[in-house]
Amino acid sequence: MSVAPPEQATPDVETDVRPQEQVVERLDRPWVTIVWNDPVNLMSYVSWVFQSYFGYGQDKAEELMLAVHREGRAVVSKGTREKMETDTEAMHGFSLWATFQKDD
Amino acid sequence: MATAFRRKGSRVVGRMDVHERELVVSLLQQTRELLGGDDHAGTGDPLQDLLGSLGAEPLDPEEVAGRDPALQRLLPPASRDDERMAADFRAMTEGHLRQQKTATLATAIVALGGDPGAAPGADLEDRRGDTVELDLGQAQSLMRALTDVRLVLAERLELRTDEDSEQLHAMLEDAEDIEDPRMLLAAYYDFLTWLQESVTLAIMRR
Repeated sequence: MSVAPPEQATPDVETDVRPQEQVVERLDRPWVTIVWNDPVNLMSYVSWVFQSYFGYGQDKAEELMLAVHREGRAVVSKGTREKMETDTEAMHGFSLWATFQKDD
Repeated sequence: MATAFRRKGSRVVGRMDVHERELVVSLLQQTRELLGGDDHAGTGDPLQDLLGSLGAEPLDPEEVAGRDPALQRLLPPASRDDERMAADFRAMTEGHLRQQKTATLATAIVALGGDPGAAPGADLEDRRGDTVELDLGQAQSLMRALTDVRLVLAERLELRTDEDSEQLHAMLEDAEDIEDPRMLLAAYYDFLTWLQESVTLAIMRR
C-alpha cells in the first residue's frame, strides 16, 4: 500500500493489533474473500472502503488494512460462495484486488 | 496551486487552478477510454443493462491475456490459481464492472468541469477563486476514479512493490530535470496521490 506524502499522512494508528483471524473466525462458513496488497492504494482509502462497504468499525477496518499492508494479503470476509462473489466484485469496483476461494 | 480539500458540512471543498483541473480531467478521460469509454457506458436503463449482462459468453482467454497490463489491473482476475473460476467470474461481472467504472470516471470528470465525451486535453473554463466544491457523491466518485488513474500511471511507471512507491517519491524530491518523460509521469502520479489523500481524508471526517 502507498503512504501519502508526510504533510497529508494519516495520524498514527493503533499498532497493537490482534491477529485478524480471531476477529472473523467462523468455522461453519467455508468461503473467504481475500484482499491483496498493492503499491498504489492509499492506507486511508483502504480503511474507508472496509468501513463503508463492510460496515466495519474504524478499529477493525484499520486492523484489516494493516494486515493487508504487512502480510501482503488478508481475509476481509467469510460466508457463502455467493456472498464472497458479491464482495469480490464490490472490491474490484473499489479498485482493490480481491480474490475468493474456499477457506484453507 | 491546489490546496487540500476540506470538509464543510455535507460538502468537500478545495482549490485547483484551471491547469491542474485540465490535467486531472485529461487523465480521467484517458482512463475512461482505456476501459472502453462510451461502449461500456450502459444504456441508462438498469433493467436492460442487467439483462444484457446475463448469459454472457465467456470472454476469449487470449484476448484477456493479451490486454494492456494497466487494463488487466483495473479488471483483475478473481482467483490467482483457479483459471476456470476466474474466467466464469469475469464472464458474469466484467461488463457491469466496466459500466460502473466508466460511470464513476464520468461523474468525476463533470465534477471538475470537464465533458466525458470530449477528447482528452480540451481546455476548461476558468473558475473564480479556483474553487472546486463537491457534494459527497461527487467527492466519492472523484476519490474512486483517482484510484483507477493512479493504477494506470503506476503500471506505466512499473511500480510493483511498496518500496518502488517510496523510491519514486524520493526520486522526485531529488529531481533536477522534471521535463524527463518518466519524471513528468512520476510528478503527475505524486500529485494525484496527494489529491486523492486529501479528498479521502475530507470524506472520512464526519
